[in-house]
Amino acid sequence: MSMVALEGLRPWILQRLTAVYLLLYVFYVAVYWLFFNSFTYNHWLQWLSDDSNQILLSLFYLSMLIHSWVGIRDVLLDYIKPFLLKLLLLFGVALFLIGSGFWLIKILMMVKA
Amino acid sequence: MLLHDRRPKYLNLFKIKLPIAGIISIFHRLTGILLFLFIPLSLYFLQLSVKDASSFQEVTALMHYPLSRFFILLIVWSLLHHLLTGLRFLLIDMEFFLDRKLSSLSAWVVVVIEALLMFAVIVGLFL
Repeated sequence: MSMVALEGLRPWILQRLTAVYLLLYVFYVAVYWLFFNSFTYNHWLQWLSDDSNQILLSLFYLSMLIHSWVGIRDVLLDYIKPFLLKLLLLFGVALFLIGSGFWLIKILMMVKA
Repeated sequence: MLLHDRRPKYLNLFKIKLPIAGIISIFHRLTGILLFLFIPLSLYFLQLSVKDASSFQEVTALMHYPLSRFFILLIVWSLLHHLLTGLRFLLIDMEFFLDRKLSSLSAWVVVVIEALLMFAVIVGLFL
Protein backbone atom coordinates (compact mmCIF):
# COMPACT_ATOMS: atom_id res chain seq x y z
CA MET A 1 0.00 0.00 0.00
CA SER A 2 1.36 3.42 -0.86
CA MET A 3 1.80 6.19 1.71
CA VAL A 4 -1.00 8.18 0.11
CA ALA A 5 -3.38 5.29 0.56
CA LEU A 6 -2.52 5.20 4.29
CA GLU A 7 -3.00 8.95 4.68
CA GLY A 8 -6.60 8.79 5.93
CA LEU A 9 -6.17 5.64 8.01
CA ARG A 10 -4.54 7.17 11.07
CA PRO A 11 -7.31 9.67 11.90
CA TRP A 12 -9.88 6.97 11.14
CA ILE A 13 -8.30 4.60 13.66
CA LEU A 14 -7.76 7.35 16.25
CA GLN A 15 -11.42 8.32 15.95
CA ARG A 16 -12.50 4.76 16.70
CA LEU A 17 -10.04 4.02 19.50
CA THR A 18 -10.92 7.25 21.32
CA ALA A 19 -14.63 6.53 20.73
CA VAL A 20 -14.35 3.20 22.54
CA TYR A 21 -12.59 4.80 25.51
CA LEU A 22 -15.11 7.67 25.70
CA LEU A 23 -17.97 5.20 25.63
CA LEU A 24 -16.49 3.07 28.42
CA TYR A 25 -15.60 6.08 30.57
CA VAL A 26 -19.03 7.71 30.30
CA PHE A 27 -20.56 4.37 31.23
CA TYR A 28 -18.25 4.05 34.25
CA VAL A 29 -18.96 7.59 35.51
CA ALA A 30 -22.71 7.32 34.91
CA VAL A 31 -23.00 3.99 36.72
CA TYR A 32 -20.74 5.11 39.58
CA TRP A 33 -22.55 8.38 40.32
CA LEU A 34 -26.09 7.50 39.34
CA PHE A 35 -26.45 4.13 41.02
CA PHE A 36 -23.83 3.71 43.71
CA ASN A 37 -23.00 7.04 45.24
CA SER A 38 -24.65 10.24 46.33
CA PHE A 39 -23.25 13.35 44.73
CA THR A 40 -21.88 15.41 47.63
CA TYR A 41 -19.04 17.92 47.68
CA ASN A 42 -16.74 15.87 49.89
CA HIS A 43 -17.25 12.66 48.00
CA TRP A 44 -16.80 14.47 44.67
CA LEU A 45 -13.47 16.01 45.80
CA GLN A 46 -12.29 12.72 47.22
CA TRP A 47 -13.20 10.95 43.98
CA LEU A 48 -11.42 13.58 41.85
CA SER A 49 -8.23 13.54 43.95
CA ASP A 50 -7.87 9.79 43.68
CA ASP A 51 -4.83 9.04 41.47
CA SER A 52 -6.51 6.48 39.23
CA ASN A 53 -9.54 8.72 38.71
CA GLN A 54 -7.26 11.63 37.81
CA ILE A 55 -5.51 9.49 35.21
CA LEU A 56 -8.80 8.14 33.82
CA LEU A 57 -10.29 11.65 33.67
CA SER A 58 -7.17 13.02 31.95
CA LEU A 59 -7.36 10.19 29.42
CA PHE A 60 -11.05 10.98 28.95
CA TYR A 61 -10.34 14.61 28.09
CA LEU A 62 -7.34 13.65 25.95
CA SER A 63 -9.54 11.20 24.03
CA MET A 64 -12.27 13.81 23.72
CA LEU A 65 -9.83 16.43 22.39
CA ILE A 66 -8.39 14.01 19.81
CA HIS A 67 -11.88 12.76 18.89
CA SER A 68 -13.22 16.31 18.46
CA TRP A 69 -10.20 17.30 16.42
CA VAL A 70 -10.83 14.55 13.88
CA GLY A 71 -14.60 15.10 13.91
CA ILE A 72 -14.60 18.89 13.62
CA ARG A 73 -11.80 18.70 11.06
CA ASP A 74 -14.00 16.42 8.92
CA VAL A 75 -16.94 18.81 9.28
CA LEU A 76 -14.84 21.84 8.28
CA LEU A 77 -13.29 19.98 5.33
CA ASP A 78 -16.80 19.00 4.18
CA TYR A 79 -18.56 22.35 4.41
CA ILE A 80 -16.02 25.21 4.29
CA LYS A 81 -14.83 25.81 0.75
CA PRO A 82 -12.63 28.99 0.84
CA PHE A 83 -9.09 27.78 1.55
CA LEU A 84 -7.97 30.59 3.85
CA LEU A 85 -11.13 30.50 5.94
CA LYS A 86 -10.80 26.73 6.27
CA LEU A 87 -7.18 27.07 7.39
CA LEU A 88 -8.07 29.78 9.88
CA LEU A 89 -10.93 27.77 11.39
CA LEU A 90 -8.78 24.62 11.65
CA PHE A 91 -6.10 26.67 13.39
CA GLY A 92 -8.69 28.16 15.76
CA VAL A 93 -10.11 24.74 16.62
CA ALA A 94 -6.61 23.39 17.30
CA LEU A 95 -5.82 26.28 19.66
CA PHE A 96 -9.20 25.87 21.37
CA LEU A 97 -8.56 22.17 22.00
CA ILE A 98 -4.97 22.61 23.21
CA GLY A 99 -6.11 25.42 25.51
CA SER A 100 -8.85 23.19 26.91
CA GLY A 101 -6.25 20.53 27.68
CA PHE A 102 -4.15 22.99 29.69
CA TRP A 103 -7.24 24.22 31.50
CA LEU A 104 -8.00 20.65 32.63
CA ILE A 105 -4.43 20.27 33.96
CA LYS A 106 -4.91 23.47 35.95
CA ILE A 107 -8.18 22.20 37.45
CA LEU A 108 -6.65 18.86 38.40
CA MET A 109 -3.83 20.70 40.15
CA MET A 110 -6.43 22.72 42.08
CA VAL A 111 -7.93 19.47 43.35
CA LYS A 112 -4.58 18.10 44.50
CA ALA A 113 -3.50 21.29 46.22
CA MET B 1 -17.81 14.13 -20.31
CA LEU B 2 -17.38 11.99 -17.25
CA LEU B 3 -20.39 10.09 -16.02
CA HIS B 4 -20.49 11.79 -12.63
CA ASP B 5 -20.61 15.22 -14.27
CA ARG B 6 -23.85 14.38 -16.01
CA ARG B 7 -25.68 13.04 -12.97
CA PRO B 8 -28.68 15.19 -12.08
CA LYS B 9 -28.24 17.33 -8.99
CA TYR B 10 -31.30 17.53 -6.84
CA LEU B 11 -30.48 19.11 -3.56
CA ASN B 12 -33.72 20.55 -2.25
CA LEU B 13 -33.28 19.57 1.39
CA PHE B 14 -37.02 19.70 2.02
CA LYS B 15 -37.79 17.19 -0.71
CA ILE B 16 -35.04 14.69 0.01
CA LYS B 17 -36.47 11.84 2.05
CA LEU B 18 -33.68 10.38 4.12
CA PRO B 19 -34.01 6.86 5.52
CA ILE B 20 -33.93 6.64 9.32
CA ALA B 21 -30.26 5.60 9.24
CA GLY B 22 -29.48 8.82 7.38
CA ILE B 23 -31.42 10.96 9.81
CA ILE B 24 -29.70 9.62 12.93
CA SER B 25 -26.38 9.95 11.12
CA ILE B 26 -26.96 13.67 10.45
CA PHE B 27 -27.86 14.09 14.10
CA HIS B 28 -24.66 12.27 15.05
CA ARG B 29 -22.80 15.08 13.32
CA LEU B 30 -24.95 17.85 14.82
CA THR B 31 -24.69 16.48 18.36
CA GLY B 32 -20.93 16.07 17.84
CA ILE B 33 -20.64 19.79 17.09
CA LEU B 34 -22.78 20.61 20.16
CA LEU B 35 -20.63 18.42 22.40
CA PHE B 36 -17.49 20.06 21.01
CA LEU B 37 -18.90 23.48 21.91
CA PHE B 38 -19.75 22.15 25.37
CA ILE B 39 -16.09 21.28 26.20
CA PRO B 40 -15.17 24.71 27.67
CA LEU B 41 -18.45 24.89 29.57
CA SER B 42 -17.80 21.44 31.05
CA LEU B 43 -14.37 22.65 32.21
CA TYR B 44 -15.89 25.80 33.66
CA PHE B 45 -18.39 23.78 35.70
CA LEU B 46 -15.70 21.29 36.71
CA GLN B 47 -13.56 24.16 37.99
CA LEU B 48 -16.48 25.73 39.85
CA SER B 49 -17.45 22.38 41.39
CA VAL B 50 -14.03 21.85 42.97
CA LYS B 51 -13.41 25.46 44.07
CA ASP B 52 -15.32 25.34 47.36
CA ALA B 53 -18.50 23.97 48.89
CA SER B 54 -20.64 26.97 48.00
CA SER B 55 -19.56 26.97 44.33
CA PHE B 56 -20.34 23.26 44.28
CA GLN B 57 -23.83 24.10 45.54
CA GLU B 58 -24.19 26.68 42.78
CA VAL B 59 -23.42 24.07 40.14
CA THR B 60 -25.82 21.48 41.54
CA ALA B 61 -28.50 24.17 41.97
CA LEU B 62 -28.51 24.62 38.16
CA MET B 63 -30.80 21.61 37.97
CA HIS B 64 -33.63 23.67 39.46
CA TYR B 65 -33.87 26.51 36.92
CA PRO B 66 -36.14 25.90 33.91
CA LEU B 67 -33.68 27.38 31.40
CA SER B 68 -30.68 25.45 32.69
CA ARG B 69 -32.84 22.32 32.83
CA PHE B 70 -33.45 22.77 29.12
CA PHE B 71 -29.70 23.00 28.44
CA ILE B 72 -28.96 20.03 30.69
CA LEU B 73 -31.49 17.97 28.74
CA LEU B 74 -30.05 19.19 25.43
CA ILE B 75 -26.54 18.15 26.45
CA VAL B 76 -27.61 14.83 27.96
CA TRP B 77 -29.60 14.06 24.82
CA SER B 78 -26.65 15.06 22.60
CA LEU B 79 -24.36 12.79 24.57
CA LEU B 80 -26.80 9.86 24.51
CA HIS B 81 -27.53 10.25 20.81
CA HIS B 82 -23.85 10.65 19.89
CA LEU B 83 -22.80 7.64 21.99
CA LEU B 84 -25.59 5.33 20.79
CA THR B 85 -25.27 6.20 17.09
CA GLY B 86 -21.48 6.07 17.50
CA LEU B 87 -21.75 2.57 18.97
CA ARG B 88 -23.88 1.59 15.98
CA PHE B 89 -21.20 2.97 13.61
CA LEU B 90 -18.53 0.94 15.44
CA LEU B 91 -20.64 -2.19 14.98
CA ILE B 92 -21.08 -1.32 11.28
CA ASP B 93 -17.27 -1.07 11.04
CA MET B 94 -17.19 -4.63 12.35
CA GLU B 95 -19.53 -5.53 9.50
CA PHE B 96 -22.77 -5.88 11.42
CA PHE B 97 -26.03 -4.44 9.98
CA LEU B 98 -24.66 -4.19 6.44
CA ASP B 99 -27.88 -5.45 4.89
CA ARG B 100 -30.42 -2.71 4.14
CA LYS B 101 -33.16 -4.09 6.40
CA LEU B 102 -30.79 -4.57 9.34
CA SER B 103 -29.42 -1.09 8.79
CA SER B 104 -32.89 0.38 9.20
CA LEU B 105 -33.78 -1.93 12.04
CA SER B 106 -30.62 -1.10 14.00
CA ALA B 107 -31.29 2.62 13.46
CA TRP B 108 -34.79 2.18 14.90
CA VAL B 109 -33.36 0.24 17.84
CA VAL B 110 -31.08 3.22 18.54
CA VAL B 111 -34.08 5.59 18.43
CA VAL B 112 -36.11 3.42 20.81
CA ILE B 113 -33.26 2.96 23.33
CA GLU B 114 -32.59 6.69 23.15
CA ALA B 115 -36.25 7.53 23.85
CA LEU B 116 -36.36 5.12 26.82
CA LEU B 117 -33.14 6.52 28.29
CA MET B 118 -34.32 10.11 27.82
CA PHE B 119 -37.55 9.22 29.57
CA ALA B 120 -35.53 7.77 32.46
CA VAL B 121 -33.34 10.89 32.56
CA ILE B 122 -36.35 13.22 32.70
CA VAL B 123 -37.97 11.14 35.44
CA GLY B 124 -34.71 10.84 37.37
CA LEU B 125 -33.68 14.48 37.13
CA PHE B 126 -36.92 16.33 37.52
CA LEU B 127 -39.62 14.23 39.15
